[in-house]
Amino acid sequence: MTDLSFTEEQRDCLQELINVAMGLASDKLARFLNTFVHLQVPAIGLVSAAEIPEQFRGQYQGLNSSMISLGFFGDGGLRGETILLYQLDNAGKIAALLGYDDDATSEAEMLTDISSILTTTFLNGLADQLENSFSYAAPRIISSRDSDFISKLEQTAFHWQLALKVDIRYELTDYSFDCNMILLIPGEAVLKLKTILDHVLAEF
Amino acid sequence: MSIDWLSGPLLQQLNSGVILLNTQLQIVYINPYICRRADIQLESVQGKDIFSVFTDAPKAWLSRKLNSVLSLQSPAFSSWEQRQYLFKLPHLRPVSSANEYMAQNCNMLPLTEPVTGEHYVCLLIEDATDAYVYQNQLQQSNLQLQQVNRLDGLTGVLNRNYWQQQLEVEVQRAARYQHPLSLLFFDLDKFKRLNDDYGHQAGDLVLIEVAKLIGSLLRETDLFGRYGGEEFAIILPDTPLDGAIEVAKRICRRVAATPIAYKQQNLMTSVSVGVSQFSSADSADDLIQQADLALYQAKRNGRNQVVTYYPGLIDSLKKVKTN
Repeated sequence: MTDLSFTEEQRDCLQELINVAMGLASDKLARFLNTFVHLQVPAIGLVSAAEIPEQFRGQYQGLNSSMISLGFFGDGGLRGETILLYQLDNAGKIAALLGYDDDATSEAEMLTDISSILTTTFLNGLADQLENSFSYAAPRIISSRDSDFISKLEQTAFHWQLALKVDIRYELTDYSFDCNMILLIPGEAVLKLKTILDHVLAEF
Repeated sequence: MSIDWLSGPLLQQLNSGVILLNTQLQIVYINPYICRRADIQLESVQGKDIFSVFTDAPKAWLSRKLNSVLSLQSPAFSSWEQRQYLFKLPHLRPVSSANEYMAQNCNMLPLTEPVTGEHYVCLLIEDATDAYVYQNQLQQSNLQLQQVNRLDGLTGVLNRNYWQQQLEVEVQRAARYQHPLSLLFFDLDKFKRLNDDYGHQAGDLVLIEVAKLIGSLLRETDLFGRYGGEEFAIILPDTPLDGAIEVAKRICRRVAATPIAYKQQNLMTSVSVGVSQFSSADSADDLIQQADLALYQAKRNGRNQVVTYYPGLIDSLKKVKTN
C-alpha cells in the first residue's frame, strides 16, 4: 500500500498555504460583507476519514446542525470534497449579514449560498497558492435539521482515504461565527498533493 | 491546431443556456439556446439590464448572487431543488407534466477578459425538467404507497395497524395537554346472518356502505378505523364523554334508518356502540378494553343501542356470566 502520510515539511508547507489562503479569503469576505472579518489561524488535522464522524459527534450532538458538501476538481489530478458543518443558529447571523432577511428565500437556498461563498472563497485562495485552479460542482445539502447527521457523515466519509480537518472560526465585527470545514481528499489525489507540495518546497 | 474557431459554433449549438453580463449586470451576450426559448433577439437586448429583459427573474436575490460572484471572484450556484427556475422558459417535455416552466440548474461563473482585464459574470443554464418531473412522480408514488399502507382495502377507512398507532399518539397527546379524548367501538348487528342469507358480496357491500355513511357523520380530525371483520373503532380527539355519546347515538340512528340497496332489495342493518372516555391513568389498551366491554353490554342489552363504559360495568358483566 502506498504511503499517504505527509512528511513534516509537507505538512508545514500545507499549513502555511492554508494560512495564506485563509488570509486571502478573509480579506475578500470583509470587502464583500462590508465588515471586519477575522479568520483565526485554522487548526489543521490530517486524519483518516473513518475517524471524522466520531470527532464531530460530541461537538454537534443534539444541536440543529447543517452539513453541506461541495465537490471540486483541479488540474493535475487534484480533487476532493469539502464539507462545511455549522449550527443553524449561527447560520442566521451570517444570513442577516448577507441580506437574506429581506425576501422569501428558502432556508435550503440560504444554507447552500452561505456554504458556497465560504468554501469557494477559501478554495480559490488555496488553488492560487498551489498554482492551480479549481472548478466546482454545485453545493449539496447532505443534512439539515437532522439529529442523526453523524450517520450521514459516516456514509460520506467512507468513500475517502484522507481527510484534512480544518477548524475555522469566522469572527465578524459584531458576531462570531464558528464552523468546521472538512477537506476530504481521495488517496490518489493525496499523492498528487504531496507532489505539488514538494514542488512548492523545491522553489524555496 | 488552433481551436479559436470552436467557441462560435459551440455557443450556437450548445444544449445549455449561456448568458454573459458585465459588472452593471447588463447583457453582453445570450446564446441561441436562451434567445429561442425566450423569443428574444440578441441585437435588441444587448446592453440592457438583465432584469429589464427577464422581468420575472428574482431580482433581489439574483443580483445579490451575481454581485457576490463579481466581488469574490468565486462561482455561485442555483439548483432546481431549491429554486425551480431563474428565468421563465418553456420546456420540450409533454404538456402532461405539471410544471409549466423549465426547471433549471444554474452555474454563475466569474470571467475576466484577458486583454482588458474587465470582469464579467457568466450564467450557464441547464435544463433539469426531467429530474424535476421524476422527483415529483416519485413523491406522488411514495405518498400513494403510504396511504395504501394505512387504509383498509375493502372499506377505505384506516386499517387496524395504523389506527392503533394513531390511538397511541392521541392518548399521549391527551395526557400531555389534558385534553378530553373519547373512543367508540361498534359492531354490525347480526352480520353473520346477513352473510348467510344474502352471501358475502352483500356482506361486503353493507360494510362498505355503513363505513361510508358513518364517515360522513364524522369530523376531519376523527380517526375512523376497521378493527376486525365487522368491528370498527373511532377515536374522537378533543371530545368529552357527552359529545361522544351524542356522536354514537347519531351513528346508531342513521345506520338503522338507512336501507342499503342490493340486487333490487333493501337490506336493513344496525350497529351496537360502546363508548369510553380517556382518563389520565389509562393506557391505549385500557381505553380499547373499556369501549369493547361497553360494546359487549350493548349487544347483551338487545343491540342497536349505545352503552357507555363505567367502572362497575366489568362486575355486572361477570355477574351476568355466572348467573
